[in-house]
Amino acid sequence: MVIIKRKELSFIEKLYLPQIFQALSHSFRAMFQPRITRQYPEEPLPTNEVTRGQPRLTLLEDGEHLACVSCGLCEAACPAYAITIDGHETERFIEREPERFEIDMLRCILCGFCEEACPKDAIFMSDELELADFSRAALVYDIDKLKRPREELQGRIDYFYQVNDRWRTPSSTS
Amino acid sequence: MPLPLVWLIKVVLIYGGLITVAAAMSLAERKVSAWIQWRVGPNRVGPWGLLQPVADGVKFIFKEELVPEGANQTLFRLAPILSAVPPMLAVAVIPFAGEVSIGGHVTTLSIADLDISTLYVVAIGGLGIYGVILGGWSSNSKYSLLGGLRASAQMVSYELSLLLSILVVVVLSGTLDLRQIVNDQAGPIFAWNIFALPVGPIAFLLFVIATFAETNRHPFDFAECEPELVGGFHTEYSSMKFALFFLGEYCAMTVMACLTTVFFLGGGNIPWWPDAPWLLELTCFLSKMGFFLFLFLWVRWTLPRFRFDQLMALGWKVMLPIAIANVFVTGALLSLGWFA
Amino acid sequence: MTRITINGKEVEADPKKPLITACHEHAAQVPMYCYHPGLTPVGSCRICQVELQQGEIPPRIVVACRTPVAEGMVVNTETPQAHDARRQCLEFLLKNHPLDCPICDKAGECDLQDYSFSEGQAEGRSVEPRRKLEKRKNLGDVIVLDQERCILCSRCVRFFEDVTKKPQLTVSGLGSRSVISTFMDRPLTGNYQGNVADICPVGALTLSGFRFQARVWNLDKHLSTCGECSRGCSITVEVLRRKEVKRLRPHFNEEVNKWWMCDHGRFSYARLNAEDRLQGATLHQDGVPHPVDRETGIAAVVDMLRVHSGAYILISPWMTVEEGEQALAFCHALASPPRLLAPPTNDLKDDLLHTGEAAPNRRGLEGQGFQTQSRDDALSALAAAECAVLIGERITEILGVEALAELSNSIRLIIFDTHALQVSATNVCIGIPNAAERTGTWINVDGHAGRIAAAKPAPPGVASLTRSLEEIRAALAPVAGEVGS
Repeated sequence: MVIIKRKELSFIEKLYLPQIFQALSHSFRAMFQPRITRQYPEEPLPTNEVTRGQPRLTLLEDGEHLACVSCGLCEAACPAYAITIDGHETERFIEREPERFEIDMLRCILCGFCEEACPKDAIFMSDELELADFSRAALVYDIDKLKRPREELQGRIDYFYQVNDRWRTPSSTS
Repeated sequence: MPLPLVWLIKVVLIYGGLITVAAAMSLAERKVSAWIQWRVGPNRVGPWGLLQPVADGVKFIFKEELVPEGANQTLFRLAPILSAVPPMLAVAVIPFAGEVSIGGHVTTLSIADLDISTLYVVAIGGLGIYGVILGGWSSNSKYSLLGGLRASAQMVSYELSLLLSILVVVVLSGTLDLRQIVNDQAGPIFAWNIFALPVGPIAFLLFVIATFAETNRHPFDFAECEPELVGGFHTEYSSMKFALFFLGEYCAMTVMACLTTVFFLGGGNIPWWPDAPWLLELTCFLSKMGFFLFLFLWVRWTLPRFRFDQLMALGWKVMLPIAIANVFVTGALLSLGWFA
Repeated sequence: MTRITINGKEVEADPKKPLITACHEHAAQVPMYCYHPGLTPVGSCRICQVELQQGEIPPRIVVACRTPVAEGMVVNTETPQAHDARRQCLEFLLKNHPLDCPICDKAGECDLQDYSFSEGQAEGRSVEPRRKLEKRKNLGDVIVLDQERCILCSRCVRFFEDVTKKPQLTVSGLGSRSVISTFMDRPLTGNYQGNVADICPVGALTLSGFRFQARVWNLDKHLSTCGECSRGCSITVEVLRRKEVKRLRPHFNEEVNKWWMCDHGRFSYARLNAEDRLQGATLHQDGVPHPVDRETGIAAVVDMLRVHSGAYILISPWMTVEEGEQALAFCHALASPPRLLAPPTNDLKDDLLHTGEAAPNRRGLEGQGFQTQSRDDALSALAAAECAVLIGERITEILGVEALAELSNSIRLIIFDTHALQVSATNVCIGIPNAAERTGTWINVDGHAGRIAAAKPAPPGVASLTRSLEEIRAALAPVAGEVGS
């Protein structure tokens, strides 16, 4: 058992009034401090290539076709079951391309596993973080909403290679 | 211009002003809290968020009105009205400024000039508690009930100190008429009752503390007390009924700020300028009132809430003895001719 | 039985089988590409090399698939020499194998991928470019060949030689220019082409119907039985997202189909995915169907059967034994003779698997006491009947919609089928689950019981046939008692 002996308060301290006035002056001065609020929609969040935003699909140099071959590895890697892919045959040299590539952004947890699983550099985490709509269905993003020119994601791609190069071997990136 | 029309103009002006102040207070509360916490506060509706009260009002009107099962229907609906009306009635006798000429009629800037207006204010102001107690009791909710009970205990305790400090002023001025009390404080700043040494400052302090308790404001807002009672007496209220409680609270704050001004700070008097034009007097009154309104917010966002037993101890063991002693000292000094 | 030692453990081995079988039976991991238990071993891929010591001869590396078991053999699969031999072999196999696993349909069930992952090296050492060959060569309507992926194990060649006895494929060309091809580039024929896609150890031979349709790890596999002929081959029903049957594959069953199945059965899954299924029930008035829920349909059937006892009852040979039992009780309750519609025949009969009798459970239902009735007899009985109950998957299809359309409107026609029957004589149709949506047993032509499994959920509002019949019987029970007295 510990007996805590409280400090005896002097008469002035017992009045509490000096402390109250001190506190009031403190809060009054706080009114003139610089604001720390971020005016969010006008002042966007700072992002850089380390930001793991929503996943996006890269386009090939032709700017028309996805780099994705719908191998399904991101679908298998996704811990939130957010990705659904249906492939179909294409006449291009890569033989298969996604017919349907959907990411349910309501389920996506922005973990970046899809980016790591992808053998074709087809999916990367963008710096896009805003997600709002009036229906759930509209937040299931399809290819049209997901595709981005490779240049837009270039910063993230470079960063990704920089941090993952030691795990990668030359032959596994081809 | 006929006389009733003059009255009507005064009524519309003063009540319009009161409602505006109450609405502005709802915005000011959020703005001041934001400033004290290094934030910006509401700034989306209108310039600097000035239209926020309008948006709030519209939202309140369109909210669903819920009446809990098992609630006393009549009292549940009556309580917000009982809470909002008394402070509005009390404002009728506040002397905002001296003589004004409206349409050829020379009149005073208050709705009514009663010679017992102090008694009237105290009596009407005391009714406000019914709204809180009935609202808490009729909701059929344990949180509301506890909030109502606390409010009644708190108001009974602090009304005593409040009245005894008013008594000091009444004794000093020798009148129950608020306008007379104001006129009595005209002249140099030392004529204000707050400077009626030694009893004036003590009475002022007691009065201000008691007004905080009377209006259920921090640090004495035990009737609401969110961490303990969810929402306190208005837990079950929604929509405009909820808004009426807030209107009542802000009106009560406004009235209390006016009374503090009238009793202790000379009302609309400008020191050393007894014959100032009425507009300046009104401005002077409103700025004094504004300071006390700001004080309500300032204290709320500075001090933490008391514990309920501390509240009771402060009311009965500290403030009441000091207030009684203060009255006796005032009487004694007066009879000795100290204030002459 | 012969005693040999595998990885230091003395075991019994069958001398009639190659060494690799003994290794597999005793948990020694030996990979194999060209070896298939159903085909003649040729030892062309060399991946199954193990270290063998026999008597006084020093240990040497042999291929396990071509080495017969002999008394006193000491086999080691895990020595550095054996590992080395297999790794070098693997490196050569991968020398020209394209790295398109992300695209390849075999990925996930590919022997070469699995073994490369566990034993292969991460980096290739060769600097020469890989072979460029044809990536998409159609070998008939069923099979597509990717020559780059092929490792020339010749399993497909031997399948046509050993199993169908009609050789159609060969390895043509020499050395690095060797490819699999048909004689004179003629398309593949026959009812067993699909099997070569199953036995191909890599993704060289793929089914054109399944190509790029689904990733194999997304398929839920359910052991079941094929219902397209009375052979009743054991199969796996592979379902994508609990919704769509994507492929049917043979499952090894020593007594029925070994490793094989026919293309007729393999590509019958379109029927299992049919979209226009009957949900709940339909009540027909003047030939116009009105959809109602199953309970309402059942009530209508009960009302009808109360008036017309002794209705003509005919069941489909696709019904399971369990459903047959319930149908038998139903017949007894209505005092009707239990009748089974004779399964249709087709000209697909061969001496390998297909029986030519296009229904899976005639034998099981006959064994339960149903009397087989030919289609013509059934139709004439229907024309004479006052009230008829047709029960089971595909029964209206076998009888023929045109023939049923000729029935007079005076007949009370009650149908339990997967699809509604749109003819004027119909009164009530009640939906039932199809073969991929229910569980039960089929008895094949030789008397082997084959289990069918529910691989996907039935359409909304559809309950099992057993339940529907039981409910009707329960509702009729008091009336049936009165009739009996």
